[in-house]
Amino acid sequence: MPLLILLLPSLILLIAVFALPLFRYGWLSFHADSVMTGLVAIPNQGANWQRFIHDARYWQDLIQTLRFAFVSVTAEIVLGLIIALILNQPLRMRALIRSSSLIPWALPTTVMALGWRWIFNTPYGPIDRLMQSGLGQSLNALGEPSIAWITTVYADIWKTTPFVALILLAGLQTIPSDLYEAAKLEGASSWICLRRITIPLLLPYLGLALMFRLAQAFGVFDLVQVMTGGGPASSTESIALYAYWNALRFLDFGYSATIMIGSFLFLSSLILIAWLVITVARNRAAGVYAK
Amino acid sequence: MARDHGGAKSGCRSLRKMKAARFMIIALLIWSLGPLAWQLYTSFCTDQALVTPFASLDQRWTLVHYQSVLNSNPPFIRYLFNSLFAGVVSTVLTLLLAIPASYSLSKLGKRSALFFKCLLIGCALFPYVLLFLALLEIARYLQLGNSLIALAIPYAALSQPLAVLLLTNAFSDLPPELEDAARVEGLSVLQRFRWVLLPLISPAIASTAILVFLFSWNEYPIALTWISDSDQLTLPVAMARIAGSSIHSVPYGPYAAATVIGSIPLIILVMVFQKPIVSGLTTGAIKG
Repeated sequence: MPLLILLLPSLILLIAVFALPLFRYGWLSFHADSVMTGLVAIPNQGANWQRFIHDARYWQDLIQTLRFAFVSVTAEIVLGLIIALILNQPLRMRALIRSSSLIPWALPTTVMALGWRWIFNTPYGPIDRLMQSGLGQSLNALGEPSIAWITTVYADIWKTTPFVALILLAGLQTIPSDLYEAAKLEGASSWICLRRITIPLLLPYLGLALMFRLAQAFGVFDLVQVMTGGGPASSTESIALYAYWNALRFLDFGYSATIMIGSFLFLSSLILIAWLVITVARNRAAGVYAK
Repeated sequence: MARDHGGAKSGCRSLRKMKAARFMIIALLIWSLGPLAWQLYTSFCTDQALVTPFASLDQRWTLVHYQSVLNSNPPFIRYLFNSLFAGVVSTVLTLLLAIPASYSLSKLGKRSALFFKCLLIGCALFPYVLLFLALLEIARYLQLGNSLIALAIPYAALSQPLAVLLLTNAFSDLPPELEDAARVEGLSVLQRFRWVLLPLISPAIASTAILVFLFSWNEYPIALTWISDSDQLTLPVAMARIAGSSIHSVPYGPYAAATVIGSIPLIILVMVFQKPIVSGLTTGAIKG
């Protein structure tokens, strides 16, 4: 019993900050609570949900968020694996190299988000200058809706790849080196080693990085808010940003809560599916090894 | 951490391979540090030099951006101190809650410990941005807005999953005989904590503290909604305010100077505490 008492303060705080808001959102989503009602919650018989289902802007934002999450997480995993493989070699100044590659991850997102705005600035930023002198054409990386989202993906990859690389590096260091030596004796090439030893044994770590990053990328907010403000033409707007606009710009708390609880339900099912897929893949990989 | 299992795999690494590896490392460094170097360069350029880089100018380099950042009202240094303060308070509060909780988790039965662990992982996976509206309501209701100390409450909650998982792991790794021996010697619970357990898990505490500090220093959405008083802003919000001041003409020169000043403490932190950061992140993610 005294053991549980030690656990209690931490648990109460977790419930207050994680569970309470969800219940509050669930309740608010069935109420009108906006400037129109004088910021008083009035039941509105599911009108928020009706609006939610028919809200084209939300669904567009959801597609944008998913597109952002999938592209950036895939790229981060591939790049993170490459970086982990580089850092896993015996290097001079290894600690220094590792800390330098960690710096992008440690800086506040907003600090570099504005830095990116300058680097991708049209026409004065370095990228645009290169494009102008190389191709004779401006890229307009943040002003063109079909390109701007890729620019935000790039900034996200830059920031979070170190995190993925670290997880994968820890995974690489658990693989016993005699596996590689045995494979080399059998005449296996480096490529075969990578495909048949490294990747299967790294699967749990890949799955872990994938799950964490997908969940984080789904809630992308800081980067987009500062770098593009959701523009141009709301092409980079994420669902978190849309919920934020609804709450603090349009002062419609009821609808904002609906967006958040709706997105939460969606994300939970997404993570559940990802987890199932990973478990199946892991079991299958284990099966291959058993043979 | 420093063992090279993977590296040993290729006993016959040729000169060509060495060169390729060196090239990749240089590429990696340029990729991760290049954007920062550009900000550093920008921060020393006059406005004219930024707009017309190839024209011959009388004056190309300047410190005027740094002067304007340091002399603004409130001075930029203020935000650094605000972030430092919020970070330290949050770290202390997180540890105060997480250490007893993880001690008890490490002693609980397997089943219930697993249950709590799953709960914590669920919280860790939750994109906490979605919480800001309800947290804002709580802050308004309890009048916690515009207070850096109050920020520590949500920060401690958001850091609990990582902190508790890391510390539980450290407690579980200790041999139970140690504490039994101390109990036989007649040490009370508090004495056992102070003289036996805490010193032994201090590496895990260091990792946790530095990661929680980094999180609190960098946190944006909650600080953005809780704090509006310009004297109380934390660094990330102050930075974003510069961006929000005008969509079309951001003062890039002063901003770059602010980026440089704002990055220096973190770069030092990462350089000095590289080891605990890495070990905290990896054990936190893997054992959790």
